[in-house]
Amino acid sequence: MINIEKIRQTKGNIVTIGSYPGIIQSILDFDYLVGKKEPSISLIIASGRNYERYFWGKKEILIPVVSSFKDLPDEKKQNLSFFINLSSARRVLSSTKEILESLPSLLGGVIFAENVPEKHSLELYEFSKNKNKFIIGPSSVGLVIPEVLKLGPIGGIDVRQLIDSSLLSSGSVAVFSASGGMTGELIRIVANSGKNISFSLSFGGDRFPITTPSDAFMSAQNDSKTKAIVYFGELGGVDEYEIADLIKTKKITKPTFCFIAGSISEIFETPPQFGHAKAMAKNQNETARAKKEALKNAGATVYETFPEFVRQITNAPLERVKTTTDYSRIRSMEQRKKALISTTISKDEDGNVKILNEDLLKFAKQNSFAAIVASLFLGKKIKSRQLEDFVDFVLRLLVDHGPYVSGALNTIVASRAGRDLVSSLSSGLLTIGSRFGGAINQAADNWLKGVTEGWNAADFVEHFVRQKIYISGIGHKKYRLDMPDPRVSEILNFSHKLSKKRFSGFAKEVEKVTTGKKANLILNVDGAIAAVLLDILSEKEGYSDKDLGELIDTEFFNALFVISRSVGFIAHFLDQKRLDEGLLRLDEDMVSAIEVKD
Amino acid sequence: MARVKISEYKAKQLVYNILNFPPDCFSISSKTNNKIPILDPNKRYVIKVDQGVKGRFKKGLVAIDKKTSEVEKIIDSYTKLGFSSLFIEEYIAHEKDQEKYLSIDLVREGKLFLYSNAGGIDIEKHKENIKKKIVKTVKDIDEIARYLEIDKNFLEKIFSLFDQNYFSFLEINPLVVIKDRIYILDLAVEVDSTAQFFVKRAFDESDFILEARTKTKEEESILNLSQKSQAAFRLDILNPNGSIFMLLSGGGASIVLADEVANQGFGKELANYGEYSGNPNKEETYIYTKNLLSLLLKSNAMKKVLIIGGGVANFTDIRITFKGVIQALDEVKKNLVKQKVKVFVRRGGPHQEEGLLEMRNFLGKEDLLGKVEGPKMVLTDIVLIALKYLEK
Repeated sequence: MINIEKIRQTKGNIVTIGSYPGIIQSILDFDYLVGKKEPSISLIIASGRNYERYFWGKKEILIPVVSSFKDLPDEKKQNLSFFINLSSARRVLSSTKEILESLPSLLGGVIFAENVPEKHSLELYEFSKNKNKFIIGPSSVGLVIPEVLKLGPIGGIDVRQLIDSSLLSSGSVAVFSASGGMTGELIRIVANSGKNISFSLSFGGDRFPITTPSDAFMSAQNDSKTKAIVYFGELGGVDEYEIADLIKTKKITKPTFCFIAGSISEIFETPPQFGHAKAMAKNQNETARAKKEALKNAGATVYETFPEFVRQITNAPLERVKTTTDYSRIRSMEQRKKALISTTISKDEDGNVKILNEDLLKFAKQNSFAAIVASLFLGKKIKSRQLEDFVDFVLRLLVDHGPYVSGALNTIVASRAGRDLVSSLSSGLLTIGSRFGGAINQAADNWLKGVTEGWNAADFVEHFVRQKIYISGIGHKKYRLDMPDPRVSEILNFSHKLSKKRFSGFAKEVEKVTTGKKANLILNVDGAIAAVLLDILSEKEGYSDKDLGELIDTEFFNALFVISRSVGFIAHFLDQKRLDEGLLRLDEDMVSAIEVKD
Repeated sequence: MARVKISEYKAKQLVYNILNFPPDCFSISSKTNNKIPILDPNKRYVIKVDQGVKGRFKKGLVAIDKKTSEVEKIIDSYTKLGFSSLFIEEYIAHEKDQEKYLSIDLVREGKLFLYSNAGGIDIEKHKENIKKKIVKTVKDIDEIARYLEIDKNFLEKIFSLFDQNYFSFLEINPLVVIKDRIYILDLAVEVDSTAQFFVKRAFDESDFILEARTKTKEEESILNLSQKSQAAFRLDILNPNGSIFMLLSGGGASIVLADEVANQGFGKELANYGEYSGNPNKEETYIYTKNLLSLLLKSNAMKKVLIIGGGVANFTDIRITFKGVIQALDEVKKNLVKQKVKVFVRRGGPHQEEGLLEMRNFLGKEDLLGKVEGPKMVLTDIVLIALKYLEK
């Protein structure tokens, strides 16, 4: 049974499994219009992206997306009280079980998909009973409690429908139906009569809804705000007999207004299957007529025609609620448009440019170049002096490494061919990749994997040897164990004040193994920068290992090299222009023509 | 879809396979090119119509104890009656008192076994002989096996077949035991059509028996549409020459509207039942409407109405679905006007303002307008208004 009063007091959020933008947006619109401070949906479980964009009022916001609960820290799990499963019928059983097992504070949720096998519904029925959580559905449009919670498309997904169906202010009538469409219709009838619903849910039209009609009736009986129950049933199934029993045994005492559709079925020789999976009278008990009789005999008010049903709901002597049909609040919401792009870096506000939410001029005056580079690259203001100092050093250190390297050479060739600044610079930048300059990122990937997967250094090196690949971050042409690279010790100095040094520690362990094999297999500049950056981000900036992985995926570690080395490339370009030697052409003796033999 | 019957042929293949029974049964249908199998002249045979017809024995659609020489003639006689799927199996001579009954129905509490030592075609008349037991695990079966005096192993295998292949219902009547050998003389199985993905080709949609009668090409086309879409579509012809055609949305609202036609005494005039739901796109709604209109134009009723009805949709977009409806109407508007068809609309939901306005403008311009209303009007009133036009 669903404890509606408990839900009214719950502050927890909603997680959706899968995504259905219209439904998710309607829930955010509901939250916004009832005056919540923040969206109730705080997480989407889906694959392929990090965020989805939605509107909060008129403003666009991002809702985080993760591919599974495994990546979710416990404190975030604690916050999730409800779910909406929007995934396909095939995935309903496994994903719903997973959510019930993963979320400690979960009260329950809704399954939206149609065509879930009966066997799976029954399995989830047992499972949810044992876990003491509620599940509404499958093939349900959800649960709505005015002012409090909208869990599904129930009541409509259009902003205007939220107002027309009076979902923004609470009333005293509980509305139930297996049919999603008729649930919407009845909510509207109640709203038009000025009474409003206390809550409403649709069980879904399957043969074995996990929340049964009698469960829903008991929830209404136990909810102090509910004064009357409106129920729309149809032929097929035997749920109405249970409801009749509840009324007969006085377990349900609140007035009930019932309508059972499907008398049309009797004009057919072989009764057809109607729209819902359960809508087929398998025997006399399951006909609309028999079920109406049972309810009537139990003492429920059952109407013969639909117009009469509507009239009686409309005229029922229940408290009227003052509601608004004021559309002015939503006019701007109806006109909103999705932006072409979204950004967290900078924007124009009242004619001023803001960088990371700070006024540009103030930002420029108060921060060093290194702090600005690091903050913009990370997409948020850096917290630590250590990171600023280290980035500053790296930017200075990587500025040039002679005209021999491929990027500088390309820039020089383009410059002497008479090309302009940007073309020549680009020609140099285009050589940056896994072989030239891009080793910092690859090294960071190595250290992160080595540490998070728990490798010991010897096995780690063996693993690379067996695959016959170089370890990025290890090895130098010139420097050796007995003639160390002076830059590397300078870089490592920046990690001295850190407490854990997981990554630089691991890198040094690896170096011990590799230099045991060959004296020039030392930790190089790329490897050292990667290790120290990882350590600082992890210890001083609060990056989790997963966050670090994402930085690697987006080539953050190469970005510093690109910025710094651009200075060197531009210097070579300007230098060549000054020297003005003309087009570079190789002499024949600079090229060796080799014949390939079979 | 939901629970659907599969052919007796398919059901027996599945059951015989798990029981290691010899697979001596044959199907004759367009699928098998109507070829009559080679039969053993020393045996007697049973020939049955295998199209899910209820009470077929009493309707004369089962021929028992036939010689091989008689088989062809019987097949011809069934084919002439319009039946296209037949089933042939060896006839097992037995006494009435050897007939037992067994059925299994998937219910919320487990699997409901009904069983009796007095089976046969009159089982309904002897309800007092039927025992009931809810079976949750295989252990609960012992008691039933003892009562029926049959091998426990047999019931266990049937139980696990039922469970693993997402059966919803299974009925063996009669089940005959002769000298410790079990014979399944008549078998009916309903499977859960939504489970196709999970049963690893144990059955598929080609095994489903959707209705005894042959479908029109329009109905076939909607069935096809439904199988390929996330949304749901249904279309059943009730009276091809009816005067009331309904284009309905929503499983619940569609029944309410069809009920109202019958309540007003126009049940015989109702040409179809059907509904679409689950937010179909414009193209799908177009295909659905086009097929319905094709049936409408074929009806030889003197005066015809089209009722486009539904409740307040939660997430089906009215503007988009109505665009598809209008596109289909537009294609045959001249014929509709010629046949004096009027269209009556009552619908609500996301973007209803735009959808209803476009519909009203279109119907008005093309002289098809009966009435267009939103959710302010009581759902069933649109039926009354349409009927008034029909009677005028």
